[in-house]
Amino acid sequence: MRVTFERSGGFAGLIVTTSVDTATLPATETEHLQQLVQSANFFGLPAEIPAAAQPDRFQYEITVEDGNQHHTVRVGEASVPESLRPLLNWCMEKARGS
Amino acid sequence: MARNKRCKPLLNHVCPICCILPPHMNDQIVLNGDSTQKEWALQSIRASEQFRERRTIVGALNLNAAFNLATVGEKRRTIFDASTGTDLPGKRVRGEGDPPTGDVMVDEAYDGSGATYDFFYDIFERNSIDGLGMRLDSTVHFDQKYDNAFWNGSQMVYGDGDGELFNRFTISIDIIGHELTHGVTQHEAGLVYKGQPGALNESMSDVFGSLIKQRTLNQTAEEADWLIGAGLLTDKVDGTALRSMKAPGTAYDDKVLGKDPQPADMSKIYTGKADNEGVHINSGIPNRAFYLAASEMGGYAWEKAGKIWYIALCDRLRSQSNFKRAANLTVTIAGELYGPDSAEKKAVEKAWKTVGVV
Ligand SMILES: [Zn+2]
Ligand SMILES: [Zn+2]
Repeated sequence: MRVTFERSGGFAGLIVTTSVDTATLPATETEHLQQLVQSANFFGLPAEIPAAAQPDRFQYEITVEDGNQHHTVRVGEASVPESLRPLLNWCMEKARGS
Repeated sequence: MARNKRCKPLLNHVCPICCILPPHMNDQIVLNGDSTQKEWALQSIRASEQFRERRTIVGALNLNAAFNLATVGEKRRTIFDASTGTDLPGKRVRGEGDPPTGDVMVDEAYDGSGATYDFFYDIFERNSIDGLGMRLDSTVHFDQKYDNAFWNGSQMVYGDGDGELFNRFTISIDIIGHELTHGVTQHEAGLVYKGQPGALNESMSDVFGSLIKQRTLNQTAEEADWLIGAGLLTDKVDGTALRSMKAPGTAYDDKVLGKDPQPADMSKIYTGKADNEGVHINSGIPNRAFYLAASEMGGYAWEKAGKIWYIALCDRLRSQSNFKRAANLTVTIAGELYGPDSAEKKAVEKAWKTVGVV
């Protein structure tokens, strides 16, 4: 499984990206990531989750490729579904190099 | 100007600079009438088609704000503390006239929103964000190590920063001015937050955020640093600020943050989808146009260039306006204010030409 993540916008306007391939992860982390994708019902989410127009909020774009499944979700910070938040947080930590 | 969606009767008297029509009678009653007259006037304003339309634009417009027109020029600041949670507005910790609390974020948010209010009132006779004396609510300590500040449509919100890359987001007065100007834009041009109109929206916030800082420091265009978010980056970061209006693309170049992505002219405009199609990236182009125009005119930047941009924001720009439209409008306004052959008009023309918009 491959996860590609981008956070853009915010007052600072920084673009933070990361890409994670489970082939390079320890088994426990792979399992954890698969759980996050599953509990987010990621492949069932709409490609674009419309956000209320709130200036300077973050914008997320996340793509998951798993076998023959391939899906991209674009979502604004103000309308992130609770179920997706743990996956975004995990990606953000990866992007920050922890 | 009948075609101007912004100049509603209710608002005319609060922005004398940008409105040509004489005040509607209702406005005078709201301002000067006794309470029965005020109630009657408000009833009729409520009922009017224009106001209904305006209410949709504005969202949850508080009608009580209209009553406070009687006390024009009165700031009403309230600072809340989210205590690292995300519930808004949080616990009320400082109200208007209360002494400093000793919490640096609370006190910076209080002082910064006061300076912003004073700027718009003293320079443009604008009574708060909506022109109607709207309350200025701010929440500090939002979320944990939150690297951001935003305007949620009715209040300002500031994070503590992570401490590694970013300091607290109240640290620089132009950030506070930036957020409040988003509120002004929401009530005026209503520039959609995407693509070029979104970058203009961002640029307006940087322009007036910077002008508020310049006025606080009593700086001319030449003396100003034209930086946005100076002091926000920690000393572990290679950079002086988040954006430079004078030299977009040069504010930081750091191994963790990367390089400031702002283009200085149209040849490098960002065309990707990130950041709502680059609203914080392409704002560098109109930001620099403002800097160039203001520097050419000299003196205090809010006096001439700021006035031209403010009129554009309030009375001329529409929700879908792009850079070219902003360029043409500001040139026209400069001609109207200072004459068709004026140095001011030429300065605005030259500025937009330098950044490749016209
Ligand atoms: Zn902004
Ligand atoms: Zn007006």
